[in-house]
Amino acid sequence: MKNPYYLHLVTMVYVNAVLGMGFALIYSTGLVTLGASAFWGIGAYASALLVMKVGLTFWLAMPLSAILAAMVALVFGFLAIRYAGVGFIVFTLLFCFVVERIFGYVPVFGGWGGIIGIPTPEPIHLPFGGLIDFSDRIPHYYLSFLLLLAAVITFSSLYSSRIGRAWWAIKLDPNLAAAVGVYTYGYRLGAFVLASGFAGLVGSFYAHYSMAISPEAFGLLKSVYIQIYAILGGLEHSVLGPLLGSLVFTVLPEIFQFYPSVEPYVTGVTLIAIVIFLPTGLAGLVQIVLRAITRLRLAARKKSGVGEATL
Amino acid sequence: MMLLEVSRVSKYFGGVAALSNVDFVVSESEIVGLIGPNGAGKTTLFNVVTGFLPVTNGTISFGGEDITGLRSDQITRRGISRTFQASVLYTRASCFENVLIGCHMHYREPKWKAFLHTKAYRKEEHTMKQNTDELLEFMGLAEYRDRFAGELPHGQQRVLGICIALATKPKLLLLDEPATGMNAKEIALVMDRIRRLRKKETTIVLVEHNVRAVVGVCDRIVVLDHGQKIAEGVPDEIMKSPAVIEAYLGRKNDDVARG
Repeated sequence: MKNPYYLHLVTMVYVNAVLGMGFALIYSTGLVTLGASAFWGIGAYASALLVMKVGLTFWLAMPLSAILAAMVALVFGFLAIRYAGVGFIVFTLLFCFVVERIFGYVPVFGGWGGIIGIPTPEPIHLPFGGLIDFSDRIPHYYLSFLLLLAAVITFSSLYSSRIGRAWWAIKLDPNLAAAVGVYTYGYRLGAFVLASGFAGLVGSFYAHYSMAISPEAFGLLKSVYIQIYAILGGLEHSVLGPLLGSLVFTVLPEIFQFYPSVEPYVTGVTLIAIVIFLPTGLAGLVQIVLRAITRLRLAARKKSGVGEATL
Repeated sequence: MMLLEVSRVSKYFGGVAALSNVDFVVSESEIVGLIGPNGAGKTTLFNVVTGFLPVTNGTISFGGEDITGLRSDQITRRGISRTFQASVLYTRASCFENVLIGCHMHYREPKWKAFLHTKAYRKEEHTMKQNTDELLEFMGLAEYRDRFAGELPHGQQRVLGICIALATKPKLLLLDEPATGMNAKEIALVMDRIRRLRKKETTIVLVEHNVRAVVGVCDRIVVLDHGQKIAEGVPDEIMKSPAVIEAYLGRKNDDVARG
């Protein structure tokens, strides 16, 4: 882990995992979004501008950008979630295009070249004289891990509560959910706002980590990738799935980045192979393997037990 | 005391009147049968009352409160619960989970407590799970508790549908063809449960095309045809009413004779 390149890869795996979990959260209410990257971008741009133009510290800008992304999601979702289904997909797609173009054409966002020279987070002075200095990659890695942890804890405790149960009910059958008194629109909006808030949070981190952002990083291609992390990771596993999906589909393109002519084929074949052979995704594979191990163990125990009895 | 009052309700789909000027009242703790040939507007009336479809004209009030135009979840919260004509269930979930989701609106602890899994929330969750088990027991589904709802025999699936609706503890229960596709034994079972419910002071409106079943259970019958109410009264009167026989029972003479 001392190698800074690996450290960078794992950091990006964490960032992408949070984005994938956001997609999975929205999907868990029966909505498919193609606009995840836009909220990621809103968080990144908001944070960069708050620090560079307004002069706030990163530690204040990060939560503010998350709140801003969540507020944009609230307004957008308020209008778009009425058209659950294909309408919602189209609206999020359009939103993604529009946001990318706003970043590209409105001067304050720095044009298509984006914003460069975004300062790294301010150092933290620990109470007993220690100092966490963000000029190095290692503190960034830990910060991204904390963000991932925050997302995992928040999402898991929601999924395991009655709120998660209501989401689950809405995804499977919104009419039946409404018939038992679930306010489907409100629950969907809540999930959408929360997922977008987390996207804004890691967007802020990403801006200050990479120190340069440009509009195309937040375009439709990224939204598609976010979808890939979640879907190929396994949609039945809303937390573990995106993490595994992000691991494979962040690392794979990186490994082959020096063979650009081969990379699309490798990624593409992996994609198709997972879709065909692992309909429950990578998390499904983990489950299958775990079950097989348990079965083997049980069989072994039975065998030895029988042996003892005959002795 | 009138529990549900549907007054002069019309529902048009384009130019077609699915309901025209229907008046329909239900008093507390009675069982009302709603019958009529296919396309008479029975299910439309259910959909309008439960907020799944907006009315074109007219008002609906429940317990003295005007509920016209409310969302379906709001109406459910006021105490009207329904089942669906097709077996609408979470087929890939256990019976227990199906009924537990029906308890959703009875949680009193706020959402943030649910998020933090506080002690009060966990206690409430435990109570809900107990209620769910009691309800499954009452409806005779305890043995299927952990089976996937989709694996159940058809008749039991219908009972489970009623069970989900009951989990919301409704004042008024709307059952949309609970006996469809069941054999005689299963129908008897469902009707038995409905009678037992009555002892629990639940008001019921029953859409049904199995006339025998309706006559045996209901206090009063309302007949719809082409979106209009053509007759209303106690079962015996309805069976003799020429208008009803012409519109509906004429094709089912055998049924009537045997019933």
